[in-house]
Amino acid sequence: MNIPQNPRIKSIFVRSKRVLSSPMLIRYLLLLLGLTVMVTPMIYMITSSFRPNSLTFAYPPKIIPAISELTVENYLYILFKQNFFRYMLNTLYVAVAITTLSAIISSMMAYCISRFKFPGRNILYGMIITIMLIPGLAMLVPQFELAVKFKLIDNLWGIILFYTAWVVPFSTFLIKGFIDNIPKELDESMYIDGGTVFTIYQKVIIPMASPAIAAVSIFNFLFAFEELGWAQTILRTDQVRTLSVAITQFFQAHNRTDWGYVFAITNLSMIPVIILYLLLQRYFISGLSSGAIKG
Amino acid sequence: MVPHAFFRTKKYFRKKDNVRMLLLLVPGLVVMGMFTFYPIIKMFVMSFFDWKIGYNQVSPFIGIENYLTVFSDPIAGMALANTLFYAVVTVPMQIILGLLVALLINDIKKFSVSFRLLYYLPVITSWVVVALLFRYIFSNQGLLNYLLTDVFKWIPEHIGWLSTRWPAMTAMTLLGIWKGIGWNMVIFLAALQAVPKEYYEASSIDGASSIQKFFYITIPNIKGTILFCIVMLVIGAFNTYTPIAVITGGNPAHQTDVVLTWTYYQTFSSYRMGYAAAFSFIIAAIVAVIAIILFKVLRPERM
Repeated sequence: MNIPQNPRIKSIFVRSKRVLSSPMLIRYLLLLLGLTVMVTPMIYMITSSFRPNSLTFAYPPKIIPAISELTVENYLYILFKQNFFRYMLNTLYVAVAITTLSAIISSMMAYCISRFKFPGRNILYGMIITIMLIPGLAMLVPQFELAVKFKLIDNLWGIILFYTAWVVPFSTFLIKGFIDNIPKELDESMYIDGGTVFTIYQKVIIPMASPAIAAVSIFNFLFAFEELGWAQTILRTDQVRTLSVAITQFFQAHNRTDWGYVFAITNLSMIPVIILYLLLQRYFISGLSSGAIKG
Repeated sequence: MVPHAFFRTKKYFRKKDNVRMLLLLVPGLVVMGMFTFYPIIKMFVMSFFDWKIGYNQVSPFIGIENYLTVFSDPIAGMALANTLFYAVVTVPMQIILGLLVALLINDIKKFSVSFRLLYYLPVITSWVVVALLFRYIFSNQGLLNYLLTDVFKWIPEHIGWLSTRWPAMTAMTLLGIWKGIGWNMVIFLAALQAVPKEYYEASSIDGASSIQKFFYITIPNIKGTILFCIVMLVIGAFNTYTPIAVITGGNPAHQTDVVLTWTYYQTFSSYRMGYAAAFSFIIAAIVAVIAIILFKVLRPERM
């Protein structure tokens, strides 16, 4: 590269060359410092789950315990003495159901709102935005009455249907933003070739909007794993509990004592999410939802 | 030009397509209509009644009395104050720290993906799990007190983090920030990568410092994303239920309740349905007003 002769600009080039490595080093050091804060609690949770319950309240606490202290007894207790697999199955059932339902429902609705002018379209879109602002749990009372009326208490569908209704507005909003950016010429050429609204949805919208649908689906899947308030309202018996309810109940039953058990069950509950995270990391960390929003 | 259903029928747009479009809309309309539109209207109606949930019980109409009760209730005010405190602290902190991490990661060449994956870990961990973890860390004999007193020697004796209002709320906000940084980082990384590189090159030639570049190029170009994050995080702050329910349960004496835990308590422990509905409606109105103000003040070009 030719270094310009203007002394002011020249000095910038020279300076940036000379100190190139040290700002980089500072960046890595800052990132590592932040990472320590982010990851230490996680490591602490993992190591605590491998210590006997009697030691989880020993003072001083240890982030990295001695090898001789480690035990898998907590995990054996959770896996074989508790209903863990039932809770996991319930949670996966709910998560898969709401992810699938909301992906289908919201992509269809987003397609219609994005592509067609129909009476009441703006009102519908306005209502979707408004509902996004209201916390799902704020409508607790009327929703509970509704659940009683439809006999959805103690039924996994009681949370599937309501969760779907809660996540559809936001999903629709994000997918609509993405569909707006898909060139309309694609639709048009399909129409000319004799396509219908259905074929365009199937052959153009779904494939082109799949990154947004994937990002939204991950979001919804995680939501099913973590929602507590509504699930503990609806799911009363042990057989239908999802993990977040079961973990909370388990914690309350073993209050302040058996942290080893508690962390064993929390770690086990994270396994499906971690697997999904590693498989689909591209979609998790690519910020697609932001890409969708800017359109 | 795309055919518009109902209004215009282009030569290649068949009338049947109106029906097909309607079929695509119906499932969403049914689910939202039944489980969100209807409950919202019902909630508004209930807020004017002394609502009884029991079978065959009469719910008397009491006008705006529920609203008056809410306004004169100190605990409702405290729950709202706690929620606002949580929002005012966690929203800016998450954005500043998330943006900082994004800026740092955006510039490095090696390990960028590893850093992203690890910083994102708290985001995918469910709220129940992190809430229990923080309850353990913030307990009297817990890790944080140990680090603060015995390792760094910043404070002389252990703090009872979860037994009084403000220390407990501080613990909540720390949890909120810690869990949210990764999400903000990912959103900002995507926004930063969309800023045209030429802007930075041109300003380098003009002799702009990194700080100038940040304020005159980066910030204006990611303004829309910042607004998006603020709005989403404010909504999230008002949605906070699980960490409070798990960590303090609103104790001591409802001092750490937030709006949703208070609504939940009123509904299922005090059975004051009308009160809960009025309170929820006030909260919904506050969130809507905040969102409108944010849009007006920050004014994104497109959204």
